[in-house]
Amino acid sequence: MDPLIFIIGYITPYIAFFTLILGLMYRVVRWLSIPVPFRLPVAPAPITYTGVLKGMSLDFFAFRSLLKGNKKLWIGGYVFHVALAITLISHIINVYFHELWAVIGYGWYEAVLYSGIFFLAALSFLLVRRIVLPNVRYISKLSDYIILILLITIVFLGVYMRSFGLVDVASVSEYMHSLLMFNPIPPPGNIWFLTHYVLAQILFIYIPFSKVSHLIGWILATTRNMRNITRWRRHVNPWDYPVEVITWDEYYQKFKDELEAIGPGGERR
Amino acid sequence: MKIDMSFPARKYKLYATWKRDMEIMKLPFPREWSHTQFNLPPNWREIALKKMDEVVKKFRSVKLFLDICVKCGACTDKCPFFLGTLDPNNMPVARQDLFRSVYKRYFTLTGRVFRGLVGAEELTEETVELWYTYFYQCSQCRRCSVFCPYGIDTAEIMIAAREVLTAIGLSPRSLTEAIAKCETIGNHMGIPPAALLSAIQFAEEEIKEETGIEVKVPINKKGAEILYVPPSADFFGGPHWGTLKGAIKMFHQIGLDYTISTYASEGGNFGTWLGYEHMKKINKKLVEEARRLGVKWILGGECGHMWRVIHAFMDTMNGPLDFLEEPVSPITGTKFEHAASTKMVHICEFTADLIKHGKLKLNPDANNQYIVTYHDSCNPARVMGLIEEPRYILKNVCRNYVELDPNVNREKTICCCAGGGLLADETIELRLKAIRPKIEAIKRTGANFLACICAIDKAAFTEYFEHYKLPITVGGVHELVGNALVFD
Repeated sequence: MDPLIFIIGYITPYIAFFTLILGLMYRVVRWLSIPVPFRLPVAPAPITYTGVLKGMSLDFFAFRSLLKGNKKLWIGGYVFHVALAITLISHIINVYFHELWAVIGYGWYEAVLYSGIFFLAALSFLLVRRIVLPNVRYISKLSDYIILILLITIVFLGVYMRSFGLVDVASVSEYMHSLLMFNPIPPPGNIWFLTHYVLAQILFIYIPFSKVSHLIGWILATTRNMRNITRWRRHVNPWDYPVEVITWDEYYQKFKDELEAIGPGGERR
Repeated sequence: MKIDMSFPARKYKLYATWKRDMEIMKLPFPREWSHTQFNLPPNWREIALKKMDEVVKKFRSVKLFLDICVKCGACTDKCPFFLGTLDPNNMPVARQDLFRSVYKRYFTLTGRVFRGLVGAEELTEETVELWYTYFYQCSQCRRCSVFCPYGIDTAEIMIAAREVLTAIGLSPRSLTEAIAKCETIGNHMGIPPAALLSAIQFAEEEIKEETGIEVKVPINKKGAEILYVPPSADFFGGPHWGTLKGAIKMFHQIGLDYTISTYASEGGNFGTWLGYEHMKKINKKLVEEARRLGVKWILGGECGHMWRVIHAFMDTMNGPLDFLEEPVSPITGTKFEHAASTKMVHICEFTADLIKHGKLKLNPDANNQYIVTYHDSCNPARVMGLIEEPRYILKNVCRNYVELDPNVNREKTICCCAGGGLLADETIELRLKAIRPKIEAIKRTGANFLACICAIDKAAFTEYFEHYKLPITVGGVHELVGNALVFD
């Protein structure tokens, strides 16, 4: 076997998968290991857990906060993420539970292709926007463009393969099954598939080290996941330390005459 | 959205702290320096990086927010300082990036390996200059956070970043002058006990002239039921004066057993904007005074950032406040359950409850000369969620009440642009630019009275209206309450 095929078919898939899972876990553990010294949600923050759950669900399913601020970006971002979700789900069905399509209906199998086109359109919109709008261009680093270009390439290859029947889904499925059993068979020797596959592996490895970790990090955002109850229930800061202030006695000595003019002992009743 | 690549806001820098105040406050590296000549200590980079490492390990939010921002740009046009100047570094995300790029360079794997590719940058003297400039052009109003898909809060990053600046000896005079006074004299304005007494007596005389009633304000009274803590500006006069008188009149009408204190005569807390230590110090005096006087609970006056500290930090920093009792209104019997732990109630909560129970004798016609609109201060609105109470009071004490444009109102409010340490003469040009959208919204309502519940709002808007030649009076919600009170 070609050593390159061996590496990208037998070795790097595992590296990519475990980097993604362990990397994200490491990120979450690192975040969780840092204390939350204050309770400082952004109002109007809810005061009940149900309220917090509702708010966060709206943020997750409807991108509520973004909708408040930027409608165009909301459309682009929302279509992108929904298409991404559809794509991920249909990949899992395709590869591991192919017979499910018979239950869901093959019409949906065809429809997924169109979500790929929406996916591409949304990504292109986000990329063009990043290049064209001066304010967004100013805050963009090279890595912000690269991730979009990487995604566009992966999605384009996927849509292209599907559209022209360049890949045999059954053989891909068989290969992916073998990976899952830790007993890999050679991957389909199709250049379209292999490129798509390698780029996806790069994406997997990139995610935990980058801003894409927002996919899990958003849950920990203390401005949104806390209840606005600080005056009702005390929040403890684990690294709090004592401070010294001028005492009343020191203050009294300093302003004795003035305070006595107010009244005896500084009191005016 | 246009941006101005000449960085027009870079010229606005707050003046440097006096050496004297640095010594009083025991700040690191007391020395002569200025906003153009930092005279940094020789090992400043080492100190800064050590402090940065410390803050990202102390605040989960800071590290998380530095890590997960996707640079979507939703916040870019939400900051009044950007809208007013078009300076790209005043876009919230760009402001954070000044800090994030250094964090990436020294504290992340990708930043150490890929450097500029992922936006990681070296920490240089120029970076520090940008930090001092732009981190003190954020009023920490948290408007950007409302619109961020992940709730990333620039204010929290600025709190951490200012700790780093303070550690290398950089802090603005606009904060430290007030903090030093507060920690030695008792309040930000530096009002000593005798002057405070004169102010109180003067208010009493004025109330007598206006209404014919005799009031006497208790000071430092041990065993009073309630300690009333307004921002010290209320004792000073100007647009705050009516609020003080309004509150005194109201307390008189309901026969409240209260006291004010000279030792804790400051509700406000400029330490909030400098760092944890001084925020805690200023707040601690309030707690200690409540303990010494033996009051049951504390009532807080009309002040914005004061309420960020009280609502979000006080109990955490200086609690548990077990020596106080769970606040109950002695007039209506209402239990303020939401303040069960901190034992401190906002005067608007207190007054709204009085009105709800019909305990105030009010004649809203007394404010008929005014068309009133309400400015949501950033902290009460976005930290406390105190949005309905002031409106409820206003609708009961005046006949002509109008709302502002919803885009700059309630939790979306544009702040007075003078918080966060920006209330200084040297920033007036910047602030006048930043406030313009809010001024336009106020103009559109046709109001001639801007009611607010924050001392900095009152000071700043008075200045703005004077500059823009607008015949609008600025005053507190309790000034209007005071006007409407009927004594017979």
